[in-house]
Amino acid sequence: MKTLHKWKWHKLVLFIFFPMVVVAILITQGCYSVRISNVNGVPEPNPVNFEEGYYRGKAVMTIDTTVNLRLLENEVMVLETCPEGCFQTIEYRVTLGDVLLSGITFGKLRKIRVKYVCLKESNE
Amino acid sequence: MADTKTFFIGQWDTFHNNGPFPTKVIYDLQLERPESMPSVIDRYNDAASEVQQLIQDCLNHNERFRAYGSGWSLSEIAHQQDRMLYTGRMNLKKTIEQDEMHTFSTLKNDDLFFFECGTTIKEVSEFLFTHGKSLKTSGASNGQTIAGGISTGIHGSAFDVGAFQDSVAGLNLIIGPGQNDNVYIERHTQPALNDDFAKKIKSRVIRNDGLFYAALVGLGSFGFIHGVVIETENLFLLKRYTFKIKPEMALKLGETLNFRDSDFKVPAELDADGKGKRPYHYKVYINPYNKAEDYVIEIIYKKDYRPDYPNPIPGIKKAVYKDLSTWIAKFAEKHSRLIPKFIGALKGQIFPALDTEVEGTLKEIFWDTTHKGPAFAFTFGIDISDTRKALDLFIKVVNQEGPIPGAMALRFVKASKATLAFTRFPMTCILEMDGILWKGNGNMISIEDIQKKLIQAFFNAGIKFTIHWGKNAAWSFPGLLDYMYGNNDDIWKDYRSALLTKQMADLFSNDFLNRVNLSDYRVNAPKNLVSSLL
Repeated sequence: MKTLHKWKWHKLVLFIFFPMVVVAILITQGCYSVRISNVNGVPEPNPVNFEEGYYRGKAVMTIDTTVNLRLLENEVMVLETCPEGCFQTIEYRVTLGDVLLSGITFGKLRKIRVKYVCLKESNE
Repeated sequence: MADTKTFFIGQWDTFHNNGPFPTKVIYDLQLERPESMPSVIDRYNDAASEVQQLIQDCLNHNERFRAYGSGWSLSEIAHQQDRMLYTGRMNLKKTIEQDEMHTFSTLKNDDLFFFECGTTIKEVSEFLFTHGKSLKTSGASNGQTIAGGISTGIHGSAFDVGAFQDSVAGLNLIIGPGQNDNVYIERHTQPALNDDFAKKIKSRVIRNDGLFYAALVGLGSFGFIHGVVIETENLFLLKRYTFKIKPEMALKLGETLNFRDSDFKVPAELDADGKGKRPYHYKVYINPYNKAEDYVIEIIYKKDYRPDYPNPIPGIKKAVYKDLSTWIAKFAEKHSRLIPKFIGALKGQIFPALDTEVEGTLKEIFWDTTHKGPAFAFTFGIDISDTRKALDLFIKVVNQEGPIPGAMALRFVKASKATLAFTRFPMTCILEMDGILWKGNGNMISIEDIQKKLIQAFFNAGIKFTIHWGKNAAWSFPGLLDYMYGNNDDIWKDYRSALLTKQMADLFSNDFLNRVNLSDYRVNAPKNLVSSLL
C-alpha cells in the first residue's frame, strides 16, 4: 500500500506537475520584450516615476491596443509625437497569445504593446 | 512664462531607493517654449523669475525650499520635507562669446560654457562634443545634474585633474525673492566673465575667492544654483585597460601614483626610456572577502582625439533580472554568512571584464548606468599615504561585523580648493564600498550600525578621513564634522551667513544640514566676506 502511494506520487509529479512547469516556462519564455535605445539621447524625465528598473525617473508613454485590418491591408503604423522630434527608447513586447491571435486571424488582428520614452528637450 | 506643476506627493525617494522620505510637495518647473521665447537668456531670466516666485511662496507659508536634480545621492542631502523643486527640465545651455569675457581673464572663451542647473552630465557632454570640447572629468556615470554634481563633489579617478567642481569658473545663485537676490560669483584671482554678462542674467557680481570656494561645494544650501560656467578642454580620447595584478603592486601604485618607476607596465604605454607613462585614471577593484585573490585594476591613458576609433559602446546590452538585487538582499539578511560566496559568484557582474582594451571619449567611457535596485555606498576620502592602513581596517571591520553585500574599490583624486570638498588631501584616495541595500536583523548588522562601526574604527586608529557628501554614512556621529574638516566648516558657515539672510539660510536648510551641524547661522559673520574684490 505504501509502495503504491509512493508510485502514485511519482506519477503525479512526472505526468502532471512536470509538464505544467514546462508549459509555464514555455509560456513565460514565449512572452518577451526588446528595447531599442538611443546611445546619445537623454530621456524625457518624469520626477514622480519611482518604478524600479530602467524606466525609473523617465517619462514613459504606453501603447496597448489591438488593430483590426481589412482584407487588403497588411501594414500598421502607429503615429506618435515627441516634443524634441525623436525617441530615446522604444520597447516592444510580444506574447504567445498575441502571436496566436495574429495566426488564427490570418494576420488581421494585431496586438500592439509598445513603451516609449521621448528625447528630452535640448534647450540650446 | 515658465510653468510649474505641483505634485502633493507625500513621500519622495532617491534614484537608488534610499528612502522613502516624507515630502509635502514636488515642483516640476517647465521652461517657456522656445517658439514663444527664442532667446536662451530670456528663457533663463524667465525661469529665474519663476524660481523667485516659488521661494516667495515658501516664505509666505513659512516652509523650506530645496532644489534637487537626478536624486542620485544616496544620503538624504537632496531631500527636504516641505517643498522640493525638481530642476531636471532646466537645461538651457550656451557658448561664451569673446565680448562676454572679463578683461583680466586668462581663460579662453572657446573653453567656457554656461549651463543651467538641471543639465545632466550626459547633456553637457553631448553639447560640448558638438563644439569639439569635453569635460575634464566626470563621475563613473553621467546621470547627475550639473548643479547636483558640483554641490556634492562628484569625482572620477582622474587623479591629476581633480573632482568635477574644480572645473567651475562661475556660479549664478538665487538667494531670495528680491531683485538684489540674484548673484553671480567668481574667483577674484581668476575672473571669467564680465559685468555685462552678469547684467544680462540680471545678477550682481561678487568676485571673491573665499566666497566662491565656500559656495562651490554648497550642499544645496548656499541658495539656488541656477547656472554654472564650466571650463572645458579640447576633445580627447581615453584608452582603458583592465588587468589582474598582485595586491602589493596595486596598493604601491595607489600609495605613490608613481607609474614611471613601477614594475607594473602596460607594454603599449611606455615612454622612449621604456618607463611607464603617467595614466589619466587609476582604479583598483577589491573583493573584501577573499584575501588571496589578486586585485582587478582599471588604468586609463589620455590620447589625442581622432574620429576613426572603434565604437566602444556595445551594440547589445544584457541585464540581470531587475528583482535580483532585492532577492539577494532578502537572502543575505537570512544567511549573511553566504555573502562572500555571492560576491565570488557575481564577480563577473561586479568587476570589469579582464584584459580588455577599449578606446573612446570621456562621455563614452563613463556612459549610462541604469537603476539596479536599492543600493548603498560608503565612500571615505583619505590621504594616499594612508591607503593600505585604511583599506586593511575597512576590510577588518566589514569581516568582523558583517559580512555585508558589497565590493570595494579605490580611486584617486588631487585636492580641491572648495572649502568643504571631500577630496581635500593633497592626493585623496577614495576608498569605497558599493552594494545592495539591506535591512539589519538578528542575523545581520544593520546599515546604520556598520556605518557607526566604520567611523569609530577610523577615529580609534587615528586615520584622518572625509566622507563623500552624497553617500551613506552615520552623519550624526559626534565630532564627525570637526574631525573631517577642522576649521573649514566654520569658514563655510561664516560665508553662508554673510551671503544669506537668516530667513533665507533657514529656508535653504534641511535635516541633513542639521544632522551634520552645518545649518547654524552666524549673526555676526562679517559682511565684507561677500564683498567683490575685483
